[in-house]
Amino acid sequence: MPSRAGPHSPAGVGKSLPERGLLLLLMVFVFLEGSVLPLGAASSPDISHKENVDNHQVAAVVHNNTKKAFPVLDLDYKHVQTPFEISLWVLLASLMKLGFHLIPRLSGIVPESCLLITVGLLVGGLIKLAGEQVPPVLDSRLFFLCLLPPIILDAGYFLPIRAFMDNLGTILMFAVVGTLWNAFFIGGLLYAVCQIQPANPNPLHTLELLPCLLFGSIVSAVDPVAVLAVFEEIHINELLHILVFGESLLNDAVTVVLYHLFEEYSGQGTVTVMDCFLGVLSFLVVALGGVLVGAIYGILAAFTSRFASHTRVIEPLFVFVYSYMAYLSAEMFHLSGIMALIACGAVMRPYVEANISHKSHTTIKYFLKMWSSVSETLIFIFLGVATVDGPHAWNWTFVTVTVILCLVARVIGVIGLTYVINQFRIVKLTTKDQFIIAYGGLRGAIAFSLGFLLDKNHFPMREMFLTAIITVIFFTVFVQGMTIKPLVELLAVKKKQEAKRSINEEIHTQFLDHLLTGIEDICGHYGHHHWKDKLNRFNKKYVKKCLIAGERSREPQLIAFYHKMEMKQAIELVESGGGVNLPSAVPSTVSMQNIQPKKPPPAKPAERALPQLPRGREEEIRNILRGNLQRTRQRLRSYNRHTLVADPYEDGFGDFLLKKQKMIELEKKIKDMNNYLTVPAAPPDSPTMCRARLASGKDSDFKPAQQQKGSKICPDPQAYRGKPDSDNVPTIHVDLASPQSPDSVNMMDEFRRAGQQQKHQQQEENQGLMMKPPSGQSGPKKPGEADSDRDQQKLTRCLSDPGPSADEDEDEPFLP
Amino acid sequence: MGSSSSNMNHIPDAEELMQETGFSSAHLLRLYERFEFLDREKRGELTPDDFEAVGRLALNPIGGRIIGAFFSQGQETVDFASFVRILAHFRPADTNRRDGAPQDPANSRTRKLKFAFQLYDQDGDGMISRVELLQVLRAMMGIQVTEEQLQSIAERAIQEADLDRDDAISFDEFKKSLEKVNIDHKMSILFLR
Repeated sequence: MPSRAGPHSPAGVGKSLPERGLLLLLMVFVFLEGSVLPLGAASSPDISHKENVDNHQVAAVVHNNTKKAFPVLDLDYKHVQTPFEISLWVLLASLMKLGFHLIPRLSGIVPESCLLITVGLLVGGLIKLAGEQVPPVLDSRLFFLCLLPPIILDAGYFLPIRAFMDNLGTILMFAVVGTLWNAFFIGGLLYAVCQIQPANPNPLHTLELLPCLLFGSIVSAVDPVAVLAVFEEIHINELLHILVFGESLLNDAVTVVLYHLFEEYSGQGTVTVMDCFLGVLSFLVVALGGVLVGAIYGILAAFTSRFASHTRVIEPLFVFVYSYMAYLSAEMFHLSGIMALIACGAVMRPYVEANISHKSHTTIKYFLKMWSSVSETLIFIFLGVATVDGPHAWNWTFVTVTVILCLVARVIGVIGLTYVINQFRIVKLTTKDQFIIAYGGLRGAIAFSLGFLLDKNHFPMREMFLTAIITVIFFTVFVQGMTIKPLVELLAVKKKQEAKRSINEEIHTQFLDHLLTGIEDICGHYGHHHWKDKLNRFNKKYVKKCLIAGERSREPQLIAFYHKMEMKQAIELVESGGGVNLPSAVPSTVSMQNIQPKKPPPAKPAERALPQLPRGREEEIRNILRGNLQRTRQRLRSYNRHTLVADPYEDGFGDFLLKKQKMIELEKKIKDMNNYLTVPAAPPDSPTMCRARLASGKDSDFKPAQQQKGSKICPDPQAYRGKPDSDNVPTIHVDLASPQSPDSVNMMDEFRRAGQQQKHQQQEENQGLMMKPPSGQSGPKKPGEADSDRDQQKLTRCLSDPGPSADEDEDEPFLP
Repeated sequence: MGSSSSNMNHIPDAEELMQETGFSSAHLLRLYERFEFLDREKRGELTPDDFEAVGRLALNPIGGRIIGAFFSQGQETVDFASFVRILAHFRPADTNRRDGAPQDPANSRTRKLKFAFQLYDQDGDGMISRVELLQVLRAMMGIQVTEEQLQSIAERAIQEADLDRDDAISFDEFKKSLEKVNIDHKMSILFLR
């Protein structure tokens, strides 16, 4: 283990000073971890000892007076010990995440999980070098109760339901049959190998069949954390992703049952047929029970969220707490907690999202991503630390045979199962797919924790098991994790498509669903579509009415989708510098209703903030701005847990122009609806000012408010309110704060949110942090930063003027 | 099934149909049985009433169109061969081409899309006009949406898909707008393999 003598120079060339500083800080920090933690672990901390090491956190301690003076400054570490250590670990994890992306080459070659395990090893090594006892960080309770749930909840809440359900049969086959096969194959063959050892007294001889099978079942489970961590970075197509990931989630039930079964009966030595039958029954109970528990809590959460309209602030809390309770309840009954969590998240999501405000939605998203991110990092670091901790009992035969058997079992299992599954699939799995599925069967911390849970008395070979498990984990994570990316490239496996669903796709897909349902009915075939249709009907008729508040319960899916798109456009439009007119097709749905203006709007029809430009001038301006439209910022499109799931709000602006044109034409349609929204300019640090508001020259779009019928709008920059519900034409209520403060709500809450997301993403982009944007698209869409800033300033200057008269010279601010 | 071989003789032109559509004999038999079940009056042909007897079709927003698709221009009845030919569109695509299979099988992606397209395009002019799209939308979404919302959606859909700006969606534009969708997966019924 390399010992760190001091800060090492960063690998990259030309690092800026702040980055060097950060790296330095990281090194010092890791040092600190190594020194502080064993002190915490040591039972009787010695004050003078601490003084020597903890320089930066120990202040001067007044010691030397004969009379005990009143301590002006005192050190009481034990008081804060546990939270302090926890925070230190979390901080370490977060800084590590930051740090890795400062060394771009490294993060390109080595997946994050490997780096984190290495860091864990280093920290563990440091602690050991300091001569202290390594804290038992990967304690099973901590792992299963604190570290695992956020990751699983994140996965479950954002599970792509459609893809999951379409492939459910395949996933179940892999999860259940595949894991069973793996467990028995590995366990059985290990036992055989142990038995046929040459005659010299070999500790392996004492290994019985049942412990072998137990070991087999522990080590055969594909781990969701590892799969997520590695598959995240390779952006594989959705089918493969959901297959491997779904398998890793659903095999928890099998693992739980097998584990308990073998653990119970290992003491007694034999398993009867009755026990096997009970095992099967137990599996059904565990799996279905877990799903049921999760579904119940999910429905409760959805129901609660229906009434949460007056306390928006705690809406996210319901989601988290109900989910966690689902997990704990399932674990309480020894049901599958993972399946409960997945079921809870998946069931709850469509209803909760229909009920909660956008702010809550964002909060939930961000919190889940944050927690799962930190959790994952911590898990890998702890894996490294726990490895150093041991105790280890290395046995060459056992370990190598285990590793080989794992690989072989996985490959055979996948091939065999695919052969069977392909008979029943429409879209067959090719050899490439099979290879990726087999290669993606990574083991991780769950296996380790399960092994850790073993009782030493019942299983004298526990250490050997642990060593073997760790070796398998390391092998899969390091070797398979590192090589899967180049292999994916080599095999030219289909990558994830940037799925931005157009309204056409949505309409036609629904149409085809109906068509297929009809054809199935004509054929008298109760197929996939038949049941889906039935479920949808049931959902629409009964469930939605209960769980969704207000009129959104009756909203067809297509409308919801359409509204989402319109909202997205509205956000884009406003962000681009204050769209004058938003089509009133923007819905009066709950999410919009949630935006209550913080201050009551003043009644006076104040002068509009936007200038009133003559028609010809508008054309010019539009043309100029349109020219700048080409350089829109590139959005992070791929699915990545650490940035957010690509959703309509974060899509790229590839066909932005087209959208603008459509907006214009939509406005044409609704000309006689009097709910135009005049929104003042975005604050100066909005990054999107260079985009033309209205790109097409087809229509007059700078329609000042006064020209509208009845001037029902109060175009006050401070607080804006559309005309409230005039005969079910949708309205938008806008909430404005001072446009100068960067964090304030400038227009609608959504716009700020989208703006912040964009800012956030732009920052990420600029630092090249997380994503590797698809290279093909980066060219024409790179933001013209200088231009945007300049334009932005000019635009702001212009737009914040209180409505200059028509013939004022507007030339200057708009010319680039 | 035991009596399958004898029943095959009842099916007119069984061999040709199998060749043309790619159905296996077992599937063809099953379809024939279904055909006979629907054909309550035992005429050897189906009328629209027979289709409407399938209760669930009434719940289907586009049930009427589907029924209409079985009856080509002007015909009032559907015989077994036409029935099978229409259903052949919904076979999953063959991964390996059999020799002697027709060049453009009914279950190719284009043919499937064409079938769907024709369901939209009721007047058969080769374009989905705004009116036709509106009709479909109205049928699918029922009474819960307002007219303006329907109009906006139709407007947006046409704008997105209509590349040559003729205010209607041609078959090519229709195909293009669905290029990301796995049609083979979406428009196939498994048992019809």
